[in-house]
Amino acid sequence: MDKTVEDNFVTLLEENQNIVHKICRLYTNNRDQHNDLFQEITIQLWRAFPKFRGDSKFSTWMYRVGLNTAITLYRKSKRTVQTQDFDSVMFRISSQEYDDTVEQQLKLMYSAVKELNDIDKALVFLYLEDKNYSEISETLGISEVNARVKMNRVKKKLKKILNP
Amino acid sequence: MVDELEMLKKDWQKQEGNLPKYTKEELYPMLLKKSSSVVKWILFISIIEFSFWIVLNFVLDHRDANIAFEEKAGINTIDKILLIVNYIALAYFVICFYLNYRSIKATDSAKELMKNILKARGTVKLYIWFNVSFIFIGSLLVFGVAYYNDPETFNIASPLVLIVVLFLLLGLFIGVLLLIYRLIYGRLTKRLKANYDQLKKLEL
Repeated sequence: MDKTVEDNFVTLLEENQNIVHKICRLYTNNRDQHNDLFQEITIQLWRAFPKFRGDSKFSTWMYRVGLNTAITLYRKSKRTVQTQDFDSVMFRISSQEYDDTVEQQLKLMYSAVKELNDIDKALVFLYLEDKNYSEISETLGISEVNARVKMNRVKKKLKKILNP
Repeated sequence: MVDELEMLKKDWQKQEGNLPKYTKEELYPMLLKKSSSVVKWILFISIIEFSFWIVLNFVLDHRDANIAFEEKAGINTIDKILLIVNYIALAYFVICFYLNYRSIKATDSAKELMKNILKARGTVKLYIWFNVSFIFIGSLLVFGVAYYNDPETFNIASPLVLIVVLFLLLGLFIGVLLLIYRLIYGRLTKRLKANYDQLKKLEL
């Protein structure tokens, strides 16, 4: 592979790595799994990179490949221990910024999101990333109307988890 | 609820500072690592699968005892025909299999990607069913022809006993085979299938 292509890719990945980290946080439960998934997404991005034509933003393209890997392609490695150690620090909320109630509510919300299934998680993730329904529908391969319907259902589902 | 989600969104976007950060030096070696994706595993197992049947065919067909048995029972012709059919089918499946795998792209939409992987998996499934049916029908044909040519071939008193033994053995073989497939591929595609069904349900 051409060295400049490799440099180019690594530069883009370094600049946009937050997207991948956020996907990993949502779809894994500990540091080992997080690193494993990050590695797999990197491989998939690198493999697909020759076909990246630049007609969409690199970040948009990353959302798609990253989510595809997390939902579809990634196989959890057996060697990772199933612990929740990462969870507690996962969505660290600065206590100076919120009072206890808000903090408590956010914690509840985050654990509720983690309980969703793979597809619903992807929807919420794209919503949290401030993507519009057209982008959501394109990434998941469903129509915009269906994306809206689905999002409403997920909201209801979250509500149910929060207020059983 | 919407307010709570909005609140979550605001908080979500604040987490950037808390995320791990890899340097370029850490990212470069990652490009060289091997993938452990579902596609790779299905591909890997399917190739073993294809090779297994080819080797099995080859070994069985070239054993001296087998050749002697074929001559004695007069099943040379039927055996050759079955072999040719088997190889034609194998070639067809290998081509389909290759084309399917080429169509799997991580850059497709999630639904399209899942559809293509399941399609690739479907080809392997079809191949398995072909093999199982082929073994079943082929064995019946071979034994039928052999028995017709010379009922003494099997040294068994009643044709009924022969049929029962034959069915039992075939049933056992096919059962074990299906169990293995279920364990291997079932585990690989369970989550994928569930997710795909989720997306498909939306289109109804």
